[in-house]
Amino acid sequence: MPELHDDLVERVTTSLKEPVRIDPALDARVMAEIEAYPAKSRGVLGVIRWLRTGRPLTVTPLGGLAVAASLVVLVVGSRLLFPPTPGSVGGATLGSLSDSAVIQFVIVAQNAGSVSLVGDFNDWDFSATPMQPVRRNGVWSITVPLAPGRYRYAFLVDGETWLADPSAPPAPDSDFGLPGSVVTVGGS
Amino acid sequence: MYRMRHLSVTIALAAGWLGLGALQAHGQEPRLVGRVSDPVRVQIDLLLDSARAAGLPTEPLVDRALEGASKRAPGDRILLAVRRLVDELRTAHDALGPRSTGAEVTAGASALHAGAAPTDLSRLRTLRQPRSLTIAAAVLADLVAAGVPAETATEAVLALAVNAEDDLYLAFRRDVERDIALGAAPEAALALRLPGTAAEADLSATQQGAQRPRKP
Repeated sequence: MPELHDDLVERVTTSLKEPVRIDPALDARVMAEIEAYPAKSRGVLGVIRWLRTGRPLTVTPLGGLAVAASLVVLVVGSRLLFPPTPGSVGGATLGSLSDSAVIQFVIVAQNAGSVSLVGDFNDWDFSATPMQPVRRNGVWSITVPLAPGRYRYAFLVDGETWLADPSAPPAPDSDFGLPGSVVTVGGS
Repeated sequence: MYRMRHLSVTIALAAGWLGLGALQAHGQEPRLVGRVSDPVRVQIDLLLDSARAAGLPTEPLVDRALEGASKRAPGDRILLAVRRLVDELRTAHDALGPRSTGAEVTAGASALHAGAAPTDLSRLRTLRQPRSLTIAAAVLADLVAAGVPAETATEAVLALAVNAEDDLYLAFRRDVERDIALGAAPEAALALRLPGTAAEADLSATQQGAQRPRKP
């Protein structure tokens, strides 16, 4: 039994002492692989490559809960910091234009060269809503779609004379001292 | 390492989101640029920020500033008018409750300016539930503007609050204004039209109640 064991050891030892034969082309193949590997670039290209490269992402249940909690805190925090203003979005404080009504404004201004309708609905812009002469008797008219709500307005004759609408309630104007009117538009 | 990178990206996106919200919330009102002087515009932007933070509608404030600019009012008068309107909007908002809409708060402020009391707005809110009170409050302000004493106009609007639809409020106001234009005293015109309008509102409410399907 000891002789058999010695023989096995002898054969293994002899096998291990033999020189390892390496393929002569191995070096060339390794160098070719290295050259083919993309060089590590820096700067914008590196960032773009990093962003485009897919990576496995490991999320533990605890980590997932932490991310979800962070998102909740972000959403709630942003709503508290920047609360939405009722009616301030898109400047539609007085109502939605989807249920607007068409209102006709009429004023008699004899010998006027131009008449403009100005009010809350057109940013009080002189050039936004010029009125049209209906006939030659000094009647001027314009129709405007208005969303439900209450608007202050006035007529401006020849760019300098302010007139209230005689057929509408007067606007209480203790602030600026010029005549004006109010129109209330109902919903559909 | 990858976890750290993803965390960094998440934080950067969140910071950008918050920053964008801050710019939107505290940006300048572009319609005021060139319409009022820069110092006045800065003051109004601060008032708008303050109103926005309090949950008040800002569009009426911009409108009032633009009205003053168009009428070539001095800057201090424009600021005074905007500040006064902020106070009225805040009082209306407090009287109507935090769930009131911007249109309701704006109409409520008009009613307060006309002479209604904050308690009247609170009563109107209670009586009109769950309907909007925008038109009711606006009609109250219109009646006062037409010459009806504030107390009388308030009583009339509250009397119609339970059953009158918005269209009926508007018809009521139109009738009163027409009578005034024909020469009636404002208070007399309102007293003449109120009973008929109230009866019409009650009848309409009764008919609507009768048309509702009954439970088996």
